[in-house]
Amino acid sequence: MQQASETTPPLRARTFTCMGTVISLTVPTDAHKAPQAVADELDAATAVVERLFTELDSIFSLYRPDSEASQLVRGELALPEASAEMRARYEEAAEWRILTEGAFTPERPDGALDLSGIVKGHAIREAGKSLMALGLANWCLNAGGDVLVSGSPNPGIDVPWRAGIVDPADRRTLLAGFPLRGAALGSPPQSLSPAGLAPLGEKTADGGTRAALATSGSAERGDHIWSVTAGAAEFRQVSIAAADVVTADVLATAIVAGGVPMLNRATAMWDIEALAVRANGELLATGGFRR
Amino acid sequence: MASAGILLVGWQSGVHVADTRSAASAAATGNQDSGTGTTGSSGAASSESAASSGTTGNSGTTGSSGTTDASGASGAAGAAAKAGGTYDGDLVQTRFGTVQVQITVKSGQITDVTALKLTDAEGRSVQISNYAAPILRSEVLQAQSGDVQTVGGATVTSDAYLTSLQAALDAASL
Repeated sequence: MQQASETTPPLRARTFTCMGTVISLTVPTDAHKAPQAVADELDAATAVVERLFTELDSIFSLYRPDSEASQLVRGELALPEASAEMRARYEEAAEWRILTEGAFTPERPDGALDLSGIVKGHAIREAGKSLMALGLANWCLNAGGDVLVSGSPNPGIDVPWRAGIVDPADRRTLLAGFPLRGAALGSPPQSLSPAGLAPLGEKTADGGTRAALATSGSAERGDHIWSVTAGAAEFRQVSIAAADVVTADVLATAIVAGGVPMLNRATAMWDIEALAVRANGELLATGGFRR
Repeated sequence: MASAGILLVGWQSGVHVADTRSAASAAATGNQDSGTGTTGSSGAASSESAASSGTTGNSGTTGSSGTTDASGASGAAGAAAKAGGTYDGDLVQTRFGTVQVQITVKSGQITDVTALKLTDAEGRSVQISNYAAPILRSEVLQAQSGDVQTVGGATVTSDAYLTSLQAALDAASL
């Protein structure tokens, strides 16, 4: 770690606010480019990502009375008549409900449609595709604590991006670290398939790719988690590293809702690493989180 | 044996928390007709435990499998403890392949857990290593805020972001 920090070139970051949180885009400076060129490229990339997030938020935000999602909740619009984007996300969320045996659900307890649990992950995924299409190979995108990376913070020596995970008991300190590697390094730009099937960060032949890290908590606003079993949540915080950000985000949410059975199901069925903080502060972790 | 060891970890922690899938699966197979009744629980709805049970034991077979119900698991363990002997677990489909374990019970204690089947799609033996096990804070990958380029955590509001570690990192890279 010390070695990496000594040799890592300065990073450049841009931020914007959307979906009730802050999105950060970070890239390494390129020794072969003028600083102003790096800054201009980053500004342009940030603008693309911000437009994408803003568009999705205008469709899915339940905090915006004029959004399509709000119209659905009020019953002014039926799902079959909804936009293709809305129906695609509902379909994706419904598939995850089956895969997680109901621990992840696109509906609130009162039955109202709520796709908040998948929209941010979807936005990060789509932003990642856009960044690849722009030709950016090395970047780190952090949306309110959920992370997707490509390449390296130091492309010269190809070290992984190092992510810290906040301690839920003291948000000024880090509970753990985790190295994130993008599978996209050196690969051609991904297609901009609206179905979200482009394999950004998909598992490589060695199965070791972890481009995404998502964390869900049981006491945070905006996580839209309801415990499957009544009573206090078993986990205070769950972090999942996976090849793709939607899988990481959905499973982290599902495990907070579904507890240890869902955690064991997730680690058995998906190629992920997990770090879970119990309500009493004890940790459960897969091998990838061990030092 | 490393694989079986990891499964054993799953078993042991399952006894404590009584809701571990591997523990429940193994425990259910010990649910012989020992006179204490059966659990009656079934994991048939679970795709993970939907495999055929095909269990053999000292005194018969059992059809129950893969329960995640805490009382069911501990109840089955009690039945197994009275019966003694060796018990084959159900075939369980995981992303690592088909898994089947055998437990040996003597005088009410589990004395051994052996992996009977542990193969990937190509039929090779594989190691199961992805169980989330209890771990001390000192054992996880460590990180200091100076060592990381990004910070993960449960969603922070844009207000909370202002005082977050991520904000500090971003400010340092403007």
